Amino acid sequence: MDFEFPEEIARAREKAVEFAKKEITPELAQKCDRDEKFPDELRVKAFQYGIVDYRNPWSMLVTIEELCRADPGLGIAATVSLFGAEVIMLFGNDEQKEKFLAPVQEGKKIMGLAVTEPGGGSDVAGIKTTARREGNKFIINGSKMFITNGAIADFFVMLVRTSEPSDGKRHHGLSAIIVPGNLPGFKRNKITGKLGVRATNTAELVLENVEVPAENLIGEEGKGFYYIMTFFNISRAYVAAQAIGISQGSLDRVLEHLSSLGSGAVTEELQFAAADIATRIEASRLLTYKAASYLFQFRPNPTITSMSKAYAAETAVFAAEKALEITGYSGLNSDLERFFRDAKIMEIWEGTSEIEKLIISRNLLKEAQGVN
Amino acid sequence: MEETDLLKSAVVEFSEKNISNNATAFERGGIPAEVIKAVAAQGFLGAAIPADSGGSGIDRSGYSVILRQLAVYSPSVSALVLITSSIASAALAKAAPDLLPDIASGNRLVGVDLSTAMDTKIERGALKISGSRIRGTVRYVLNGSGDLLIAMTSDGKLVVVDGGIQATPEEHHLSFRGLAYTKVKVDSGNFRILDEHGKDALLKIADSIDLEVASLALGIARGALNKVVEYTKVRKTFERPLKDYGPVADNISRLMSELRMAELNLESSEAMRDEEILMLKILSVDIAKRATKYALQYHGGYGYIEDFGVEKYYRDAAGLSILFQSPYRDAMRVAKAVYGEKSGYL
Repeated sequence: MDFEFPEEIARAREKAVEFAKKEITPELAQKCDRDEKFPDELRVKAFQYGIVDYRNPWSMLVTIEELCRADPGLGIAATVSLFGAEVIMLFGNDEQKEKFLAPVQEGKKIMGLAVTEPGGGSDVAGIKTTARREGNKFIINGSKMFITNGAIADFFVMLVRTSEPSDGKRHHGLSAIIVPGNLPGFKRNKITGKLGVRATNTAELVLENVEVPAENLIGEEGKGFYYIMTFFNISRAYVAAQAIGISQGSLDRVLEHLSSLGSGAVTEELQFAAADIATRIEASRLLTYKAASYLFQFRPNPTITSMSKAYAAETAVFAAEKALEITGYSGLNSDLERFFRDAKIMEIWEGTSEIEKLIISRNLLKEAQGVN
Repeated sequence: MEETDLLKSAVVEFSEKNISNNATAFERGGIPAEVIKAVAAQGFLGAAIPADSGGSGIDRSGYSVILRQLAVYSPSVSALVLITSSIASAALAKAAPDLLPDIASGNRLVGVDLSTAMDTKIERGALKISGSRIRGTVRYVLNGSGDLLIAMTSDGKLVVVDGGIQATPEEHHLSFRGLAYTKVKVDSGNFRILDEHGKDALLKIADSIDLEVASLALGIARGALNKVVEYTKVRKTFERPLKDYGPVADNISRLMSELRMAELNLESSEAMRDEEILMLKILSVDIAKRATKYALQYHGGYGYIEDFGVEKYYRDAAGLSILFQSPYRDAMRVAKAVYGEKSGYL
């Protein structure tokens, strides 16, 4: 067993570090956080620099980690313009890949994934947005909440209900449809006042009789729930990478702080706190790389993926909070306070920690019952 | 006991009328001057300042009630009272008592730079006295939007500057956003030396407000938990209220239990020794941090946005544990109390 990455991925990490040093400046991070501004120029530069390419998932994983280590809000904003792309990659047809996916992969367009609803949250199968088929089009009505890239995306992969579940299973009858953002009846309200990741764009989507061509249906009608769950399995590994970046960034700042103190001032209490953060980061990393290893070999292990996401997210919150305590006033007046605010979303989006734990335990129980 | 209940009712009534529906707006735009005046008119702003110095002269347990109940609604308002009635008044008491009536009445706001004392990396203040003038730029001034400033000089003195100050906002303003957090440029001929040993004086003040910080912490925890209890009753997931799920109910109930026990201790703090009050503070801040974290978590995405009024508790609990005293200094203080001599410093 070799824990070292192949040269290609190590090089991708180096390139991400170079990009972060050059482009993710404290000034830009502060400005985008203060003004809640999506840094589109940074996104474009990241593509031009050749560090955003989800066809090389390992490279993306380490790139996300390094960019979020420099600044979580900017790191996510620079890498999230393809959010939901895997649904089209895995289940879309050639026309959809050509028409919608290609421009996003080239950095020319932005996409989003629209699943969560105002009353839904974690309960994906409980969504209320409907798509009624009329001839060669779908008529969509409903609303979506907390949608990343919501106000800036050119189109969305949207989960909608296309039929009532005849067998009482709510996750049946759901479909994934590509919905362009500029259609009549489609309103987008940017959500402001977020605690953190304020450089990312988040919106509420409201759809009133929005007409979408039937050809925008992804895969089979009624299979949307499975497509989205498959996607979450992938995206959770990337979120874990975001969380690791936040944790590592927090630890970097702690070590810098401790190094600047006189040796007598670095008590064992402080040393132990730093050691705890570092150990949890390493454990998060190993879990995440294991989850990614399964995923990127097309044999996903949802139990490990959920473990990695939940643990890395909790570690990010732990690390940022501890880092603030260790660094005290100077940390409070540095970008660490932003890391602290940014970290908390890791435990909420792409499946709350509670949902991840349910997935873990239910899968384990299923395995145990299968053995018995 | 009856007096305390009456005081609590008065603070709750005041907060419902003046703060409850505006707490989020305070976070965005600062506490309005008329609200500060109203807090002062009720006798809350100068609660701990002696009556003969223009304050309300309320005893410590009554003061604790005020801080705690205000924090339930707006930790920023409570922190304003703490800074004015405890920190600034203690700093001004000996050398500038004539300023106390003005700060107790809310006629003048006083900014305080605690960073010089609390930050181990900062050795000296930024102000320099030259002849009859004082000049310099002071960073990280809490409540620094008025014309009074308490800060340290480069040679370690604690001073109050009256006028001749210009404030601009600081970038990193994590906690108590209802208060200004500013960089203050000083060029003034009107100042007084409050203490020759500024750092020691500020640390002594910080060490003397354990009960007050505990009160604020428990108010924050109560505010956050009240919100999450109500939310988890009505918010459904998988067609059931969140409160019906074991981990949610268990976590919130355990935190409520810890909170209530700490509140009961706080309410009988008159009989406590100083080290017991310090222990209560450490416990209270810990409860506040955990309670606010769970409150935000169980609000899901809604907890992450300002409008729901939960994230402010999370930010404030984190800042509270740093702004008014280092948790590591507190750990050493309590270790000294436990062992009876300096301990835990290696």
